[in-house]
Amino acid sequence: MLKINNIHKSYNGTKILKGVTLEISRGKRLGLAGPSGSGKTTLLRCIQDLETQDIGTIKCSEKTCFMFQDFQLFPHMTVWQNLLYAPNLNGDRGQNEQRANKFLRDLGLEDKKQSYPKSLSGGQKQRVALARSLMINPSLLLCDEPTSGLDVATVMDVVILLKSVSASGVTMIIASHDLDFLVKMSDRIVLLKEGEIAVDVDVQKHNDPVNYLKKYY
Amino acid sequence: MDKLISDFVYIGAGLAITLQLLVGSFLMGIVVGSLLSIIRVSDISKICTFLIERVISVIRGTPLVLQLSLIYFSVPGILDIKLSALSAGIVAFGINSSAYISEILRAGIESLPQGQFEAARTLGIPKYYMWKDIIMPQVIANIYPAMINEIIALLKETALIVTIGGMDIMRRSQIIAAERYEYFAPLCIAGAYYYLLVVLIEFIGKKIENRKIKC
Repeated sequence: MLKINNIHKSYNGTKILKGVTLEISRGKRLGLAGPSGSGKTTLLRCIQDLETQDIGTIKCSEKTCFMFQDFQLFPHMTVWQNLLYAPNLNGDRGQNEQRANKFLRDLGLEDKKQSYPKSLSGGQKQRVALARSLMINPSLLLCDEPTSGLDVATVMDVVILLKSVSASGVTMIIASHDLDFLVKMSDRIVLLKEGEIAVDVDVQKHNDPVNYLKKYY
Repeated sequence: MDKLISDFVYIGAGLAITLQLLVGSFLMGIVVGSLLSIIRVSDISKICTFLIERVISVIRGTPLVLQLSLIYFSVPGILDIKLSALSAGIVAFGINSSAYISEILRAGIESLPQGQFEAARTLGIPKYYMWKDIIMPQVIANIYPAMINEIIALLKETALIVTIGGMDIMRRSQIIAAERYEYFAPLCIAGAYYYLLVVLIEFIGKKIENRKIKC
């Protein structure tokens, strides 16, 4: 469903991506690992078309949605409005409200419907951002550092949540520097280093993928 | 005492002109200023952005009284039209205000995180709705105090209409002063009217701020 072929990207003369080639098939969970500055976020932004690569092609046949590291909820809208604003622009309002209610119930946010983002905790914002992304029915969800700033218990909640989303058929690419989280989350992990793929690991086939990946850091 | 009351009434009759100037030029300023700032931050065309920046620079870099005189005395001759003092005032103050409002709006738009634009884009929100419902409500909340200041500054600038004969509060106080060679009381009355208007604008501004802005 997604084919990335030899993409390069530079900012002000600094090369961030140096020929990344990658393929992901439908329903899979791909982890993007790597130290800060390795190009994880830039790669996700290129896939979402928030950045244009200098060289190379990205072919994506499906609807994508990007979950930002800092959530980017709309601060002047309630949780309910955040969820419904985009889908209501050209969808069935009744159906959208039913789906929004279901997501809020599943994510334990029913009582936060009328709250504004500023009154939510980091974990709650994360869940609202996830629900907002799912409201537009993406086939490919791009998550940028979904656990940054979250405590251990909330990280486990995020793992369970994202796995349940994946089980519903949504393909995922998750960028994170947290290897333990990525191993729990992904079928496959690609480690980026200085803009290049250093290693591509099938998580199921390794006894200790975390230590294996650490060798390439 | 009777003289004082009749002076209050005579000068107060200028409120109509002052308020028409204020409302007319502010509305013009907000419409033109919004368009200019959106064109600038959208970066639709580099030439447009350059021209807008130059025009704003000239408007901010020349005295308002000069702009008012140009519009009132020169434009009718060039375009072969008649302009009343009120119309010339609204156009001059409106154009001048649009330059300042455009700068306030630009700063407000640029102070928003880029992620808000990107989030709207990734959710498939069309540009018109993004500006109307996502960006502008946040920008207005951010620039609200600066906008109240702009309205207050504009109110005080409307007094320049005296230079082209508009019968506003200031002009009326000058007429009384010139008739009697007595300046203190009529000018104080004009000052009191302006000050009351400023207090009223601040009061309404705070009320709206407390009620509407939840960001």
